[in-house]
Amino acid sequence: MRVNIILEVYKFKVKAFFGALRASKASLALLLVYTFGFIPSVVGFSMSITNAVRQGNANPELYAEFLTAIVSALILFVTLLTLRGYTVFEYEQNFIFTSPIQPREFLVASMFADFTASLIFVNPVFILYVIIVLSLNLEFHLALLMFLAILIFIFLLFFLKASLSLMKILYEGSLVNSIILTLAFIFLLPTLRLLIDFPLKFASLPYPSTFLAKILLNIIFNEEPQIFNLLGLIFYFSLGFLFFMFASGKNFFPLSRHTPFVSPFDTSMRMQTLKMRKSIKTFSRISLFFQLNLKSKSLLLFLMRKEIIRTMREGSLFAIILLYLIAALISISIRQASQTSSFFPLTLLVGIYSLIVPLMLVSNWRSSEFENLWIPLTSGVNIRTLVRSLLYDFVLISSAIPAVVMLILSIFSNNNPISSLILIISTSMIGCSVNLYVMMKFLGKKRRGTPALLIGWASLALSALLLAPIYLSIVVSVYLKLGDIVGNLLSIAMLIYSALIMKYFLGKMEKNMINIEI
Amino acid sequence: MNPIVELIDVWKSYNGTQALRGLNLEVYRGEIFGLLGPNGAGKTTTLKIIVGLLKMDKGVVKVNGVDISEEPYEYKRLIGYVPETVSLPEYLTVEEFLIYSGKIREVSNEQIRERIGYFIRLFELEGKRKSLILSLSRGMRQKVAIASALIHDPDLLILDEPFIGIDPMGQHILKDLFNERIKDGKTVFVSTHMLDTAERLCNRVAIIHRGQNVASGDLRNLQQLSKSGENATLEEVFLKLTEEAEMQVVEGEKKKEDSLTY
Repeated sequence: MRVNIILEVYKFKVKAFFGALRASKASLALLLVYTFGFIPSVVGFSMSITNAVRQGNANPELYAEFLTAIVSALILFVTLLTLRGYTVFEYEQNFIFTSPIQPREFLVASMFADFTASLIFVNPVFILYVIIVLSLNLEFHLALLMFLAILIFIFLLFFLKASLSLMKILYEGSLVNSIILTLAFIFLLPTLRLLIDFPLKFASLPYPSTFLAKILLNIIFNEEPQIFNLLGLIFYFSLGFLFFMFASGKNFFPLSRHTPFVSPFDTSMRMQTLKMRKSIKTFSRISLFFQLNLKSKSLLLFLMRKEIIRTMREGSLFAIILLYLIAALISISIRQASQTSSFFPLTLLVGIYSLIVPLMLVSNWRSSEFENLWIPLTSGVNIRTLVRSLLYDFVLISSAIPAVVMLILSIFSNNNPISSLILIISTSMIGCSVNLYVMMKFLGKKRRGTPALLIGWASLALSALLLAPIYLSIVVSVYLKLGDIVGNLLSIAMLIYSALIMKYFLGKMEKNMINIEI
Repeated sequence: MNPIVELIDVWKSYNGTQALRGLNLEVYRGEIFGLLGPNGAGKTTTLKIIVGLLKMDKGVVKVNGVDISEEPYEYKRLIGYVPETVSLPEYLTVEEFLIYSGKIREVSNEQIRERIGYFIRLFELEGKRKSLILSLSRGMRQKVAIASALIHDPDLLILDEPFIGIDPMGQHILKDLFNERIKDGKTVFVSTHMLDTAERLCNRVAIIHRGQNVASGDLRNLQQLSKSGENATLEEVFLKLTEEAEMQVVEGEKKKEDSLTY
């Protein structure tokens, strides 16, 4: 292996990855938002760990199970990623694979480049590490050991990912798929333990996640880690390394598939379109049964159908369903953990999600449809109908899915869902109107360069401001335990208020749409 | 005869850069009209102003005698437009997209069905009818965009560089299609860089340079105007006229600088 070649490819890949970060201030803002967004949760999480350790009321066995499950989930995720085979970017195929570089040299450079890139995303873990080390006043050698254990585990993940992905393209067939899926199933079991009460204790089984979890817990409790656990982790690391050495010896260059290069820091419209194309390829396979045809009786219904087809084939609809399922699971866990029958935490959580979903829908519409706006705008179609179809669709999607989730949960928990449903519908009406209006305002030639992220923040702030009276009235009615009649009257008032806001923005949007220049 | 498209003293600038400087133009019914000019001459800007995708700073644009600033919607029913860079909803199939194009122009279901069948056969897209636009090549997308612009059988078809990306057979089909349309009294208005194609296809052309109409008419008019001789090709005429126009601009700028110096 030639170290200078590896170094050159490494530098090239890192530059390509961080290219957008250097070019755009908005991307830097995105990174800061990401990092600072995690700090409160990281601090909260570390405080709960350090307090539990200091007070001596922590249950190490329970912690081991919990941490094993989390680490296993991470391995599961990486394992599932390998199902698509080893992918490279087009520029790598064109410029690097046509040079006399050896596959192993490329793989090593890629691994270190991926590691460098991942440091950006796992920075909350390092913040957590520093807080724990400092607040628990850990001895230096233990802090170092903890750091090394995490590092070894990260490289184990890289070895696993690279080797399995290479196997997938080198020996295409059901055997490799079966091996990957079996591994995924094995790593799924400890994660399932979080939701279903298995009789089996995974923390006592020789999972790589178990070894890491036990080492970390020993150190947190200021104990020397057991040699058995250290050897276990090193054993898995060596196994991963050997597997990597075997797989990287093969010439995979002609078999690799390329994916569009999408840097997470690139917020440009072109990159969003590339991401969207990838989604269409995936989701159109399962949504082509729902077709745009000549059956719709009115133009409004026809255009609404077209928008629903877009959200299905681009995957937005499925992402929203997944988002609410996660919300429902979190709510159920909170209710079970706090042993409360109150519906309020769930309402609040779904309410918050209902604020994000309109932003998601409108941002996706912008990425996907802006370049296609010339079609309706040169057709002479009634602009009012066009805008209404968009808005009604967004309101329908962003309210129907959480409403169904809420109704199902209310049946199981025997709660009255009316106030929650009103909150969802109102949030959706106001959120969609505001987001679409702000987005259209920024479609003008002079403002078009503004990153979607910043537009999103503006929309969220305005939506939150307009929704404040609704949230306030719900909180008041819950705490004052207002009667049904007052509650119903309040609900009607909320709906009228939301409808008025929607009507106001609808008029504004028509004017904006007319003035869009392409 | 009243022109179907008339531009009178149209001005447009982008962030201080003047794209159109008092452009005058007339396009008549039953002709294939070519808009020629070097890069950055203002061809795409002109077409976008006519179809309502850009707003002019000053001037009058009339389509079928109607001032588009006063009546910015109804006239679009007469127009079919294909931009230079065709962007289509990639999540729709070819058939779905053509249905969408027909529906938003309020074409009857029966006509939509009939015309989809016709264009799919004409452009040899039978195998792609149910395919997502995402899977189409650039040339195929261009054909689908042209079919969508014709789904309502418009009086005026406006195309920005329509032949780019289309194979020779496709170009031949298009030229035949355009000729068929003008026989029915319809108008085809194209902007193109391909001077040999323009020479063979267009009944009249306008050469624009730096946002101004340098010359317009049929080839014979332009040969006379440029004093290039009877055997001069459109390319020779084009080069001569644009060079002369450029010289005038340079001289004008020099005079301006001189007057400022003194």
